[in-house]
Amino acid sequence: MVVRPYSEELKYLEKINDHCWRIKKGFQPNMNVEGVFYVNSRLEQLILDELKNSCRPGAIGGFLPGVKQIANVAALPGIVGRSIGLPDIHSGYGFAIGNMAAFDMDDPLSVVSPGGVGFDINCGVRLLRTNLYEKDVQPIKEQLAQSLFDHIPVGVGSKGVIPMNARDLEEALEMGMDWSLREGYAWAEDKEHCEEYGRMLSADPGKVSMRAKKRGLPQLGTLGAGNHYAEIQVVDEIYDKWSASKMGIEEKGQVVVMIHSGSRGFGHQVATDALVEMEKAMKRDQIETNDRQLACARINSVEGQNYLKAMAAAANFAWVNRSSMTFLTRQAFAKMFNTTPDDLDMHVIYDVSHNIAKVENHIVDGKERKLLVHRKGSTRAFPPHHPLIPVDYQLTGQPVLVGGTMGTCSYVLTGTERGMQETFGSTCHGAGRALSRSKSRRNLDYKEVLDKLEQIGIAIRVASPKLVMEEAPEAYKDVTDVVDTCHAAGISKKCIKMRPIAVIKG
Amino acid sequence: MLKLKLEALGHPTPNNIAFSNRKEFASTVLWLEDQTIRLYPIEGRDTMRNLEDMPAWEEGYKQYCTDLSMPPFETQLEQLTWLVGNAMRLEFLDNPSQYESINGVTEGQPKNNGAQSQEKVQTIFDGKINVHDKDFIAGVRTLATKLQVPHHPNHLLQLQAITRIVHERIGPASMNRKAITGTPFPFDKGNDVVAANDPALDYPMRILRLLQIQSLRQLQTHINETIVAVQSLTANPKTDTKLGKVGR
Repeated sequence: MVVRPYSEELKYLEKINDHCWRIKKGFQPNMNVEGVFYVNSRLEQLILDELKNSCRPGAIGGFLPGVKQIANVAALPGIVGRSIGLPDIHSGYGFAIGNMAAFDMDDPLSVVSPGGVGFDINCGVRLLRTNLYEKDVQPIKEQLAQSLFDHIPVGVGSKGVIPMNARDLEEALEMGMDWSLREGYAWAEDKEHCEEYGRMLSADPGKVSMRAKKRGLPQLGTLGAGNHYAEIQVVDEIYDKWSASKMGIEEKGQVVVMIHSGSRGFGHQVATDALVEMEKAMKRDQIETNDRQLACARINSVEGQNYLKAMAAAANFAWVNRSSMTFLTRQAFAKMFNTTPDDLDMHVIYDVSHNIAKVENHIVDGKERKLLVHRKGSTRAFPPHHPLIPVDYQLTGQPVLVGGTMGTCSYVLTGTERGMQETFGSTCHGAGRALSRSKSRRNLDYKEVLDKLEQIGIAIRVASPKLVMEEAPEAYKDVTDVVDTCHAAGISKKCIKMRPIAVIKG
Repeated sequence: MLKLKLEALGHPTPNNIAFSNRKEFASTVLWLEDQTIRLYPIEGRDTMRNLEDMPAWEEGYKQYCTDLSMPPFETQLEQLTWLVGNAMRLEFLDNPSQYESINGVTEGQPKNNGAQSQEKVQTIFDGKINVHDKDFIAGVRTLATKLQVPHHPNHLLQLQAITRIVHERIGPASMNRKAITGTPFPFDKGNDVVAANDPALDYPMRILRLLQIQSLRQLQTHINETIVAVQSLTANPKTDTKLGKVGR
């Protein structure tokens, strides 16, 4: 890494407009393309402070600052367009979380990097609607939270309630949501409203290690820990009435359920296995990167292909996981209200993936090109009439689900044409960390965090209360700032805002 | 749109035509016949050329419409649109190779709709009916007039349009269909701007897109119904709470 004083570093950064900064070549060595990041004035301060701190003499250890990571990604072979940082960006393993980058599939030197997908492969958000209103749920929210907590296994070391053997898992890895459909855990309409229709066809369970499968089997249908949660939310604000009605959201006060989860230990193991394999491939193919964490392999190499197939299997795992929890949520609600999920109109509004790499066609410099798009902590946001979004959203653009932090609000956005042109159809994914996990553990007290939530009237059930301060709202950026920046920059459009009334968490 | 077409045909003053004026209409028709359609030999156009004697011109025009086998239109704007369209088609057929460069990748391959629909209709009738029989064509044209389907030179395409109308509006299935409820939304107000300053492009594009979405929706509904049918055979969701464990 180049070490320069902060004032020197700033010369490589240029503010293009109120919401966008450019990272010029030379900020990090060997940059093939420029970098860019989207921030408003408050988020800008966070990013620049992070850079400033890393420039202090003697600052060592921890992750590189987000801007440096964007620039390192820009130095990877085969990258196309720009290396893009979304407003919720924060440092991660290799790639920053909230960094998206596209690689040319037709360039034999292009790479795929597990760090560009993240350890929680196909971590994502699913939103279910109901025909209930706040007044129906408010009086029984404690019972409802308890019922959800009883139905959905949460926390580190939790185990699923859906009986599965090794063969079932193999099938689920290959079929994704089609497995859930076949077995009757999902509705036909769920598949329609899911990114990739809930199944990556390139998945090959044969490329997944035994170890990953052993870790994954008991965890299927569990929420997990960390920032994952299931929330009962009410619609707080509708910005785009027409798009909202297309999603079945008619009025303020309507109750929805948000599920945020991923591929659990399974995805983590797939990523870890791939990183080990790729380190050897890098030596063999003489691939140089600026950061050891940016382990990668050529897309067409055996290692690259193995990873993409295993990653697809992990993505399928995550969809089955979210589908199973949808099933359990529907059961919990049906029992509570003594009716059927059908009568509660508990349809999936949409299901987004925010840690994934996909092959997509984009127009680059006026030409259509086949790209491998890495989205880490970044959500796909395709514009109206894109062929890959469900027919129901052809006129509105793809719904983008942005989960807030515990106790704050969440948003639904829609994709725009401008986002398609500027960010390969990508936008933010959540609030984005402001304090590291260890820092929040040191600075915050879990009792205070829980009391605060209670004070604002949120029912909460946590499996491991002592870890709750890692996820406290104070540890995150303000999701409203993040979403407003995306809206103002035009890369997605605000549609609905929700606030939680009950949370269950790992 | 009409003006654009006239301009493409080389009309000297496409922007200054008052389409409601019968005389200007007459002179435009004459111009089309003179320049591109050329149905009659030059000496046969005398009645149409005599714009001073309008009653005689009307007589000649009536004959001209029959000779061109123009479908019965009500307004003179409709008639003119059809005539211009016909003229453009003739102009194109004179030298199709001249326009070859326009199809291809940039404009999207024009599908051979005629051949496709012919194949489709043939298979429906199992080859028992000659779809190019005069009576058949006449039957399609009459049906089209009754159902107010716009004219198309290829009667088989017109038959397809008729099928759609029967299917959507008149067939027994559509009679029992529940009316669609919900808040209507003006379709020209969406986020998806095609061409903000060119309504001639924007409007038809939106209509085409809606039609496309409608047929996609039908396809998706079929898919969902199929999945549900299969689910009735395969689905057996089970949960076993004994297996479950909430973590620390």
